[in-house]
Amino acid sequence: MSFHLELRNVSKSVFHRVNETKIRTLLFSDLNLKIGRGELVTIMGASGSGKTTLLRLINRLSDPDSGTILLNSIDICSMPPQELRKKAGMVFQLPVMFQGSVRENIAFGMELWGESMDINALAKDAGVPEKLLDADTGRLSVGEKQRVCIARALSTQPELLLLDEPTSSLDSISAQKIETMLLGLQRDHDLTMVWVTHEKEQAGRIGGRRLILKDGKLEEHAED
Amino acid sequence: MQRIEILAIALTFALIILSSAYARRFGIGREISLAGTRAVVQVLILASVILVLFRLPLYWSFVVLLVMVTIAGHTTYSRSGKLENGRVIATFSIASASFLLLIPFFLSGIFPFEARYLVPTGSIFIGNAMNISSLAIDRYRGEIKNRRAEIEACLALGASPKRAVAPSFKQGILSALIPSIDNMKNLGMVWIPGVMTGMILSGGDPVEAASIQIAIFISIFAAGMIASSLMLHYSTNSFFTQACQLKEDID
Ligand SMILES: Nc1ncnc2c1ncn2[C@@H]1O[C@H](COP(=O)(O)OP(=O)(O)O)[C@@H](O)[C@H]1O
Ligand SMILES: [Mg+2]
Repeated sequence: MSFHLELRNVSKSVFHRVNETKIRTLLFSDLNLKIGRGELVTIMGASGSGKTTLLRLINRLSDPDSGTILLNSIDICSMPPQELRKKAGMVFQLPVMFQGSVRENIAFGMELWGESMDINALAKDAGVPEKLLDADTGRLSVGEKQRVCIARALSTQPELLLLDEPTSSLDSISAQKIETMLLGLQRDHDLTMVWVTHEKEQAGRIGGRRLILKDGKLEEHAED
Repeated sequence: MQRIEILAIALTFALIILSSAYARRFGIGREISLAGTRAVVQVLILASVILVLFRLPLYWSFVVLLVMVTIAGHTTYSRSGKLENGRVIATFSIASASFLLLIPFFLSGIFPFEARYLVPTGSIFIGNAMNISSLAIDRYRGEIKNRRAEIEACLALGASPKRAVAPSFKQGILSALIPSIDNMKNLGMVWIPGVMTGMILSGGDPVEAASIQIAIFISIFAAGMIASSLMLHYSTNSFFTQACQLKEDID
């Protein structure tokens, strides 16, 4: 059986600069992970355990020290990074808006790739109210910005969505609304999702396969 | 030497000594006296070089301009935070912009094709292209560093590095050109620029001086704009890896 996303013996360390010397810290070593098409996986782990770094390896915002990452059984290093990123969309922990209106932000990926998609439908999918479409992004609340980021990530028609604690900067009501919206998207679009969260309760609500990144190892979460 | 030259240099040294004595309280007295002395020596050497150039074949003037461009390139390069390939890019950008803007002055016959005109005009363009490019690359690097999150969000959608740094590029060019734009607005109101001052002081016709000055002024602006655009354009790749990743150690 072939997997949608596969990590083989992936290791990564980072460098901290202390005064003039660089100190190397191993974040994780020999990680292995297999994710099927349309599967939903949550990754938990303490702050600083390397969850963000792990996601960044998958869309090649960063490269591992060693190991291989395969998308559709193809080594991601052998495809053009831009095409990989079109397929593996990412929602960051803190929403970042590009200059311009909400509509321009949502249309960004679409225009980049010459896709024709219905912006209103994308906005609706991500729960961005239609009346906000022509507003300047500077005026939005954090929750609204995060919804725009989700719509924008969908605008390249990704097959895989990497979510880096997408609700951590929101109040619990907005967080749960976005959570429900994302789960709906996953079902409707048959998206493969890797969802990083540090909240145990959220991971429980999301369901799917639960993994924990701890002491540089990825473990299946034992049911409790 | 003539009386006037001796007086001018004496005045210069008197002012250097007074300024550095005053600036000691800010801890930059030594620096000012050194910089001032250096400036005097350099400018006297330059004057002698130009004097010699008048008698040499014209290609020697180009050699001098090339030396100037190399030094200018190095200065801008050090502003770029020791960017990969920065020295070559800076030198190339400043050289192309300056030489390009020199051409119309000599083709049209505004200036005769002689060392007397070539070297000073060339040095004005090179010097200003250098300043504007330094400002631009310094700001560009700062913007890229501060906008890391935005740039990576853009890359994550599959954008090219060039597309991802477009807002930083715009900001870099803008901030480098703003001083020149302000200068242009105030031309003749707050200050009389160098070339015009020189021509008037040496007995030239003020209207002729003004026409030449304005042509040079716009050329300085154009040279700066071209040099800084080339500089930023060709340095963009140095901020990224082969795999279109924003490098981690930008400072
Ligand atoms: N580019 C980097 N350079 C140096 N250290 C980094 C870099 N990225 C992350 N780190 C460090 O690696 C550790 C893990 O970071 P991260 O992946 O963001 O963890 P998490 O998302 O699980 O909180 C942290 O200690 C962080 O400071
Ligand atoms: Mg994180």
